[in-house]
Amino acid sequence: MLSRLALHAAGALAPALKNAAPLAPGVLQTTRIFHTASPRLAPLPPLPEHGGKVRHGLIPEEFFEFMYPKTGVTGPYVLGTVITADTFAAMSTLGLFVYIVKKYGASVAAFADKLREDQLAEAEGLKQTSMKNIQDAIDLEKQQQDLVGKRHYLFDVQRNNIAMTIELFYRERLHKVYTEVKNRLDYHIAKQNMMRRKEQEHMITWVENHVVKSISAQQEKETIAKCIAEDVFSVTLNKNIPLKKKKKKKKTVSNTIKRLSATPQIHTTCHWFTKIC
Amino acid sequence: MAGRKLALKTIDWVAFGEIIPKNQKAIANALKSQNEFLTTRLAALSEKPQVINWAFYKQNVAKPGLVEDFEKKFNDLKIPIPEDKFTSLVDAEEKEDVKIGAEFVKASNARIVELQKELEKIRNIIPFEQMTIEDLNEAFPQTKLDKKNYPYWPHQPIENL
Repeated sequence: MLSRLALHAAGALAPALKNAAPLAPGVLQTTRIFHTASPRLAPLPPLPEHGGKVRHGLIPEEFFEFMYPKTGVTGPYVLGTVITADTFAAMSTLGLFVYIVKKYGASVAAFADKLREDQLAEAEGLKQTSMKNIQDAIDLEKQQQDLVGKRHYLFDVQRNNIAMTIELFYRERLHKVYTEVKNRLDYHIAKQNMMRRKEQEHMITWVENHVVKSISAQQEKETIAKCIAEDVFSVTLNKNIPLKKKKKKKKTVSNTIKRLSATPQIHTTCHWFTKIC
Repeated sequence: MAGRKLALKTIDWVAFGEIIPKNQKAIANALKSQNEFLTTRLAALSEKPQVINWAFYKQNVAKPGLVEDFEKKFNDLKIPIPEDKFTSLVDAEEKEDVKIGAEFVKASNARIVELQKELEKIRNIIPFEQMTIEDLNEAFPQTKLDKKNYPYWPHQPIENL
């Protein structure tokens, strides 16, 4: 009996035991099965909030309940009146025991509770991290699946590039054809223009050279003598023969000859002479 | 000489940047810059060349028949579109890639199912207040103490305490 008492008190105190409970009187728990032939409950039922009820801080209520059918209410107390040699030792030990428990019970219980809380919190944290990791892994997988859906852009870019280069080549070819044909046509026109200009210039110079050549040395002397003899520079005849002004005559050979041969006028001779000088 | 319509797909450059792995960023940038270069060049060149003023040339070129001849030949000329040998290669690559992608997605889905199962398992463990150490070891295998390799307490390397 005493051992049972000790066990129960120790159970009330030791925090490490699974069935630890704060030291406070409470309702008798009939759901809790203590140390009987144990049907193992899995999972364990939750710990009771308060420990088994005790009477006088020491003796579990079950003791009184146990003796009640045989001895009634006073039965256990009669047992208490039995005094032997070691009753006093027992009483002083018990008294000391009660004193210590009363004084330090609460703080020890709090300490025990805190330990338990810490363990629970740690386990909870463990659970939360596990869940978070798994959730992150799932999200990552989903993300990667998204990316797989976007891979076609790579090939789109490549195809676009190819198409663009081909189009570029094509357009460059079009432009090149245009410029080449235009060049050739322009060449023809430029050649024609140049030929015409050259012909004109050549003809003019030829005509001039011819005319100048045709004035032989002989004729030249005669002309000069005539001029000096006639003394043109002093007196002019009345007839004011106007100079043949430019009638837009084309610079052809016949026109030049006509012009130059219309000379015998004295005025115009010298004027003509100065003209060709 | 009719121009063809250029069929370019619009590209989401952000997505393009996302799918490139880190060790191929240089190649991807080269692709992108090539693309930009080509677009600018293409924009600079007009689609049709300028028209040649045949009437003017007919009047002014002396040689008879030259201009007509040119004109006829010019209009008859069909410039060949350059041959496209490469799009088929790209398409073949893309097909391969689609296959690989599909496989990956399948494997990924399988993984997701496994992960969901584990998540449910973790969610449904008994509350800690009702657990024993064995129950804890079942729910979180990493808490199991290795009694084979470390037969003496604390059953784990001292540093882990």
